Amino acid sequence: MKRMIGLLTVSIVSAVLLAGLAGCSMEPRSATMHEPGVYKGEKDQVLALQNQQVLIDRLKLVQTDR
Amino acid sequence: MTPFNKKRLHRVSSEPASPKDITRRSFLVRGGVALGSGALLGLLPLGCMRQATTEEKRNFPQPGVKTEYRRTICTHCSVGCGIIAELQNGVWVGQEPDYDSPLNLGAHCCKGAAARSHGFGEKRVKFPMKLVNGAWTRLTWDQAINEIGDKLLKIRAESGPDALFFCGSSKASNEGAYLQGKLAAFWGTNNVDNQARICHSTTVDGVANTWGYGAMTNSYNDMRNSKAMLFLGSNAAEAHPVAMQHILRAKEGGSKMIVVDPRFTRTAAHADIYARIRSGTDIPFIYGLLWHVFKNGWDDKDYIAKRVYAMDDIRKEVEKWPPEEVENVTGIPKDKVFEIAQTMAMNRPSTIVWCMGVTQHHMASHTVRLFCILQLALGNIGMAGGGANIFRGHDNVQGATDVGPNCHTLSCYYGLAEGSWKHWARVWGVDYEWVKARFDMSAQYDSGGGKMAYTMNMPGIPVSRWIDGVMEDKANLSQKDNLRAVIFQGHACNSQTRGTQMKKALEKLDMLVISDPFPTHMAVMSDRKNDTYLLPTATQYETCGCCTASNRSLQWREKIIEPLYESLPDHVILYKLARKLGFADEMFKNIKVTKDEPLIEDVLREINRGAWTIGYTGQSPERLKLHAQHRRTFNTLTLKAESGPCKGDYYGLPWPCWGKPEMKHPGTPLLYDPSKPVAEGGLVFRAAWGTDYNGKSLLASGVYAKGSELKDGYPEFTSDILKKLGWWDDLTPDEKKEAEGKNWKTDLSGGIQRVVIKHGCAPFGNGRARCNVWTYPDPIPVHREPLYTPRFDLVKKYPTYADRKAYYRLPTRYQSIQSVNHSANYPLIFTSGRLTEYEGGGEEQRSEAWLAKLQQEMFAEINPRDAANAGIRNGQWIWLEGAEGGKIKVHAMVTERVGPGTVWTPFHFGGWFEGKDLYEKYPEGTAPFIRGEACNTATTYGYDSVTMMQETKATLCRITPA
Amino acid sequence: MARMKFLCDTERCIECNGCVTACNNEHDVPWGINRRHVITMNDGVSGEKSISVACMHCTDAPCAAVCPVDCFYFTPDGIVLHDKSLCIGCGYCFYACPFGAPQFPEMNSFGARGKMDKCTFCAGGPLPDNSVEEYQLYGSNRIAEGKLPLCAEMCATNALLGGDGNVVSEIYIQRITQRGGRPQTWGWATAYDFGKEKKP
Repeated sequence: MKRMIGLLTVSIVSAVLLAGLAGCSMEPRSATMHEPGVYKGEKDQVLALQNQQVLIDRLKLVQTDR
Repeated sequence: MTPFNKKRLHRVSSEPASPKDITRRSFLVRGGVALGSGALLGLLPLGCMRQATTEEKRNFPQPGVKTEYRRTICTHCSVGCGIIAELQNGVWVGQEPDYDSPLNLGAHCCKGAAARSHGFGEKRVKFPMKLVNGAWTRLTWDQAINEIGDKLLKIRAESGPDALFFCGSSKASNEGAYLQGKLAAFWGTNNVDNQARICHSTTVDGVANTWGYGAMTNSYNDMRNSKAMLFLGSNAAEAHPVAMQHILRAKEGGSKMIVVDPRFTRTAAHADIYARIRSGTDIPFIYGLLWHVFKNGWDDKDYIAKRVYAMDDIRKEVEKWPPEEVENVTGIPKDKVFEIAQTMAMNRPSTIVWCMGVTQHHMASHTVRLFCILQLALGNIGMAGGGANIFRGHDNVQGATDVGPNCHTLSCYYGLAEGSWKHWARVWGVDYEWVKARFDMSAQYDSGGGKMAYTMNMPGIPVSRWIDGVMEDKANLSQKDNLRAVIFQGHACNSQTRGTQMKKALEKLDMLVISDPFPTHMAVMSDRKNDTYLLPTATQYETCGCCTASNRSLQWREKIIEPLYESLPDHVILYKLARKLGFADEMFKNIKVTKDEPLIEDVLREINRGAWTIGYTGQSPERLKLHAQHRRTFNTLTLKAESGPCKGDYYGLPWPCWGKPEMKHPGTPLLYDPSKPVAEGGLVFRAAWGTDYNGKSLLASGVYAKGSELKDGYPEFTSDILKKLGWWDDLTPDEKKEAEGKNWKTDLSGGIQRVVIKHGCAPFGNGRARCNVWTYPDPIPVHREPLYTPRFDLVKKYPTYADRKAYYRLPTRYQSIQSVNHSANYPLIFTSGRLTEYEGGGEEQRSEAWLAKLQQEMFAEINPRDAANAGIRNGQWIWLEGAEGGKIKVHAMVTERVGPGTVWTPFHFGGWFEGKDLYEKYPEGTAPFIRGEACNTATTYGYDSVTMMQETKATLCRITPA
Repeated sequence: MARMKFLCDTERCIECNGCVTACNNEHDVPWGINRRHVITMNDGVSGEKSISVACMHCTDAPCAAVCPVDCFYFTPDGIVLHDKSLCIGCGYCFYACPFGAPQFPEMNSFGARGKMDKCTFCAGGPLPDNSVEEYQLYGSNRIAEGKLPLCAEMCATNALLGGDGNVVSEIYIQRITQRGGRPQTWGWATAYDFGKEKKP
């Protein structure tokens, strides 16, 4: 029984440690990495958007006096 | 300047009513601040413990799940905006603009744009319930229907069928509303009504008696053709926001916009001319306009000579209204009256718009007639850009008026005479004698002026007066006994006047049944302890059917979601009730019923078979669905389909859509417009009152619809007239068999209408519009001061009517109220109106977070002068006491929006009574987010002399700091 | 490349709040937050005008200029967006914004702010388009679906326009040209005897 608890303690401790380490390494967007004037967040898919004409057509279709 | 520049009172909601109220959602209620200050929210410690996290997001679209689109019509007002709902697995996950709809072109106000919040339904009545010693107790549907039915049958045995009042709804579909009226007929009473009574009943009657049909003559879209638009008692910007799209486009095209209202409304803010009128003085104002019209020769003499009866009587009455007197009575400077008259005359076609500010008065039937007369004098009726554009209120109040429950007519204005009952008995497929036996035939009663009649042929008690039906001494009633049970299916009682008396009436009733999606103010306002039932009822987003927009277009609604919780749609509840009461087989003889659900399409087909008077005959379910599907093919100005399978039709087949569906009549976009053939939507004035009166012709002269074979006026068509004209043989043999001895209203074959239209004529004849309605209390409209008038000095000159002994089965007071000077103790005019976010009794919107958070307080608008006199500061609590002693506790909003001497409140609030929050009385989890005093707790007596419309817009009050 | 722009035509705006609830509907923002507001000036008196306001998606956005963690970014068509995982909820952008656009959900009883929330021009955020995660943090992404902001698409009177700035401008110019053609001047002064009745 004691051994079981011991094993369990060890595994919990190591899990916490691992998680902590992983947390550090997976946090590249932390404010401490900040460079003034530089956006370091996720890249947005919309940046690659190719549907400008679609949006213009939609504007004329929906928002005009008809 | 006013001391603030915010829209309404913007403050944190009041403290919670009860510690029990700690639910996730109510925390939000209390933590919420109103719009405009949201950004500061984080800076204010509001005592709110919960986190606004992403868990709040409900029913949103999931990636990778198939999305389905369904289309319905907004259930909030009569504009008839299309709504596109996005569904995933039956859940309403999104909404898109219905930009193909020719009525709204994708636009919504806050209510339509929030339609999806309907799908959350957290405050709904979730299962049938009843009060047991003051506690709400759950029932099954079977238990509820059985108990209600047993009690009804017991009451019927003791007091007769007239001891029940059944209130139907303008929020029901045409099919639901039709069945509500039919249920009452099969039960055997005319004590059945709907919101139309307290909405536009005066319009319907007054306008119909002038030229034939009591409905909006043109359309919202057609206002883009107007050169001038006069709004009276209409705040379209808040009550019909999407209509403003057409109105402002008209204005941008050069149309002059005039607003006459006691309040400087949001609509007035867009007007070219605004005039502040004293409440209840519309008749003098219109006479003031006519004074200038006649004096300057602006009247359309040719039009009057050809199409109008008795304009000379009006000229005589106008003499009594010189500009000084008009200014004295209405409060509008005489220059302004001239300017408005000139603007209307010099910018024709000009149109006139009116709403509840005009219709809810004790002489409103006459007021609306005078509006019609102004338009006749200017020759504005029956053409694009002109007309009487009467904006209806509820989404289907036009339809419920037309086909639905009314206490003074059968469906489609057939009246209550024996012939009308026989007509509908034939349509229903039941024996007239069987129907008759359902009614109280034990005695005749005074139907007015000592004329005796059976209750079957006498108007029932209207919704405006049901409380008197309960409370009045039995000996004074024109029926066997008092009302002992009432059923309200889809009507908020806080929209009816005299709340303090209503509370007493509710407590006296043997049984109260509320069939509604929400508990409503009615469930909580009284101290009833037992015999009170709540039936969870589906909304129109949870069923299908058609509804009629203000412009008379019928639109088909698809079912968006399944009824929430244990809710059932109106027609299912009505079927269950009918079965319990023992007449389901007769009532649903022509209608297929599957698992207690009558087939909606069959109900519409039955309406189609009977509704010849107003042309609800051509709008078959198939045609309406086709219109919905091809709505993009309709022109957004004329509403005519220019291509596609509906080519030639007008959108929604605006009634009258004559003949059978197979005849393919396109509907009538503009009433009384003779420039088109009747077969293509043209029309002339109805000849409903004979061919002549007092030696003068009632038939048109020299005017006829394009292509008419009769080049002059003609009476309404009967089989005999067809024979005289030699058109009889145009009927098929089957049609002949049915049409023999019938007229255009009663020939179920539709042959008479078909043949008449083939010859270019209107089935209802070609008559003159009447300036003199000799059957009315005032054949020529005359001014009568409000019963509670602030100008007691004018009462002698402009008195009201004598009291009446039997009127809609009830004694009705006029002179005995007006003869006392109430203004001595109650010096301020008290009037009411709409907010954009809410509608009607407001229970639905106050229970939906997106709307509720925009209007969190009941308030009263008070002019700075009156506030100063009463020692009231902006934002403080006040007591507003009506002239009959009803008191409401509200916040003061000191503003120049109202003139000195006028206090205005919105009418959508409920859930408070005389200073007390009734939170505790709601079934658990159903209290609306926002509760407040119902303004009608403080309103007073007063009923129209033709339709029993209630007086809500001109009464008196006093205000004191609370 | 054109920029996305909002424009609210105050001659058309009737303060119906349709834009506000359309936004709620599309993004289901919590009770305390409205990304879009309708503001009325001179309420109830002559000169009453309403205007719908939200993030104006500025070219030289003050919020982005002051943000201490640089959580803002710009799409090629000029939409100003931000990454909530970087935002520290300081509220500096709220002070900088001329329109009061940044909103802060209440987080706890001490009045601390949550991460900033604002109008996204219905373009979501930097997470995968129309993923559950993007919806939870930023709301839906209509732009990715080829649609425009729902507030503008549902506006009761077409007062609020939102889309390609050049087209918006064309629509507006056409409108004011027509108004200029009215026989009388468009506006309040002629509507209400401005000079006579206005109080000092």
